[in-house]
Order: sequence, then structure tokens, then C-alpha cells
Amino acid sequence: MTDTLGLVHRLLAASLDAWQVDGQVERDSNRITLTAGAHTLLVARGAPPFRWTVTLAGRERGVTSIAGLLRTVRRVVDPDHQASRLRIAPAPLVSP
Amino acid sequence: MIPVCVLTGFLGSGKTTLLGKLLKSPAFARTAVIINEFGEVGLDHDLIETSDESFVTLQTGCLCCSIRGDLVLTLADILRRRDEGTVTPFDRVVIETSGLADPAPILHAVMSDDALAERLTLAGVVTTVDAVNGAATLVRQPESIKQVAVADRLVLTKTDLVDETPPALTNRLTALNPSAPVLPASFGDIDPALLFDARIWDPAAPSLPSPATGSPPRSRGGVPLGGGLGWENELHEHHGAHDRNRHDERIACFALIREQPIPAVALTLFLEVLAEHCGADLLRLKGIVAIAESPERPAVIHGVQHMFHAPGFLERWPSDDRRSRLVFIARDLPREFAEALLDAIEAEVRETTIQQPRDP
Repeated sequence: MTDTLGLVHRLLAASLDAWQVDGQVERDSNRITLTAGAHTLLVARGAPPFRWTVTLAGRERGVTSIAGLLRTVRRVVDPDHQASRLRIAPAPLVSP
Repeated sequence: MIPVCVLTGFLGSGKTTLLGKLLKSPAFARTAVIINEFGEVGLDHDLIETSDESFVTLQTGCLCCSIRGDLVLTLADILRRRDEGTVTPFDRVVIETSGLADPAPILHAVMSDDALAERLTLAGVVTTVDAVNGAATLVRQPESIKQVAVADRLVLTKTDLVDETPPALTNRLTALNPSAPVLPASFGDIDPALLFDARIWDPAAPSLPSPATGSPPRSRGGVPLGGGLGWENELHEHHGAHDRNRHDERIACFALIREQPIPAVALTLFLEVLAEHCGADLLRLKGIVAIAESPERPAVIHGVQHMFHAPGFLERWPSDDRRSRLVFIARDLPREFAEALLDAIEAEVRETTIQQPRDP
């Protein structure tokens, strides 16, 4: 059985490094605690369709995927980040 | 489709000399050249002689800064003139950037225009590096680092002026872009086929490293790179030395290798998250991927910043190595983030798939 919570713990720690945000990420048996600046976020597994929950200042919200989880966390710890969206080039990669 | 090649390199690195020689070669006939010069009065286009079958057009200003739209207009214009018969029916386009240009937005412009996409396809990036001054330029000029980092081919110019290529330069090129072959060119002499006829999507091309062999970065023409380490080791070593306070260390190249096929939806999510969080810093991503749903036909992916081509599927694996290989050239993107992201998304997708109710 894959330890998905463990993988997300590792991902959140790597994310803070990638985003150049000072902080700490710790894990206990069923949740992850991320601290950055004045913010403390609790990340835990959720019930479908919300695979994850993020709790900030006592308010819990559900997110459906790891992509959504990262987006939620980054909005809190790195609010100035300008996200971009994947675009698919109209030009083909392989010439016909 | 008409291939578009981007020729870049820092000021004085020999782009125009190289282009001038290439355009005299019969193998390089029927080429349309767009030269971008920084400044109001361009000279380079006057310094290039072409055969009767090729022609040169000029843009001033810096392509990568404010007039990216002009590049699209120029490309559209030469296509229109080709259709009208007022210019040679060219078979390829070469865009020579100004020496100060950041090539990533230029690639982006070529890839992203709907109208051009019906007729033009990005065929690769060639970067000239001066064997005499290249090492110093890479220390002082951040633009030159990006130019090297995004290249499919590196051309070492002015090799006639040095007895031996400085080790500091070869080491730097290896660290910045271990997958690009380094081709020596004295006085611009080089076989055009080595430069512009290799497609970025061709997994057999040296632009995509083959970690199965553990071989050092390949070179054609005898310029050895690396110090006996496999290219993966070189990438890891460089990554370990990551120091964000030094601009030239902010750009790194690394590879992710996966033994098991990747579910298509996991690859899609991975690219979406990369684009969302690292789009501007993802200078290039190239890869060959074993897709779980298509085990016999690998997908080839290519992206510049947040713009990706739709994956191309090869007819078959080009070698016995069936591992997925993703090569990143990025600024301030730790390998650990990319690796942890792919691991987590793959796990989530597999978990979701297992939990799906089965059809009765």
C-alpha cells in the first residue's frame, strides 16, 4: 500500500523549497502540519470527493486532488505568486 | 510543414559568420532567414551573402522583449509572399536572434500562434558559443546562460583561435546542458545536416540523452565533454551545488527516470501543476514517456515555459530502453520538487483507479 500521505509530506517540503518560502513541514500518523510565516496549515486525508482537507485558522476546506492541495497551500504561503496555466501549442510536435 | 530553426548565441559569438557559411552551402538552399538585431540600424543582414534561392529579412529591436508579435507578423508575411510567388519557395526558416535575446519567449511565440501552426513547426535551437570568450561570457551575462541552456545543438566557434577548448568552458556547457551535442566550427564551417535537420521530437537525436548507456554527453566532431561521469551523475552533481545567490547557478538541467509506465492522466496532471507553479522558470522540458495506456508507442513531449506541444506518439520504441525519461532545463526548479510531484501524483492516480467501482 503506497504511503500517499508520506509522499505529500515530501512534496510539501519540496514545494516550500521550490517556492523559496521559509517554513517547516512535519508529519504525524494522520496529518501534516505546515508552518510558514504566521500561517499554520493542517493537511489530512479527506472523504471522497475531497481527497484532502486543509485547515487554516480553524476553518477546514476540502480539495479534490494533490494539484488542488498545492494550489490552496501556495495561495496562503506565497500570495504574490502569479500562476500560469498549461497551454497546448497549436503547432504539432510531429510533422505530418 | 516548414521547419523553423532558431539560431541564438551571445554578442560576437559567431552567429552571423555561421549563418553566412551555411547559406552558401547547396545543402542549405531555399532558406528564409529572419535576422533580429538590437538597435535601430541593422548591419548583419548586409554582411550575409546568400545563394539566389535564399533570402534574408531584418527586424530591429529585441525579439524577446517588446516585439514578439512582430516576429509572428514577419513569419506570416514571408509565408504570404511565398504563396504569392514574390519570394523563393523556401523549405526552411532560420530566425537569428539578437545576441542579447532570451530565446525562450521566441520559441514560445513560434509555438503558440494558431495561424502559423498550420504551416510552421519548431525544429530546434542552435546556440553558438565562442571558444575564446565563452567561459567569461557565461559568468558575466545571464542571457548567455539561457541561450546555452535551451539549445538542441551547441556550436563552438573560433576554435581556430585556441589550442584547446578551455576546460572551464566545456565543464560549464556540460553542467548547463548535458544533452546538447557540442559541435566545433572554425570560420563557420560545419555540416548543415548536423545542425538544423535534427528534430526536437526525434528520440534518436542526441538532444535526448540516453541514460541507459550512462554515457557522457555526446559530441560530434570530437569535443569531449564531462570528466568520465555519466550524464546523470553530472546532473545530480550540478544540482547538489545549487546556489540561488549565483545567477549562473540558478539554471539547472536534470532528468527524471521512471521504470514503470506512467498513466496518461498522471502525466497530464504533472504537466499542469508544473506549468501552474513553475511555468515561467521551465525553460524547456523534453522527454520520451512510457504511457501505461500505450505501452508499445512511447509519447514524446516538449514544452517551453507553460506552453506544450500535444504529445507525439512514436510508432515504436527507438531502443531497448523503455524507461520514461524527462529532461528538465529550468531556473530555480529543484529536482526534488519535480520528483516528489510526479511520485505523489502517480500514487494518487493509482489510488483513484483502484477505488473506481467496476462495471457490473
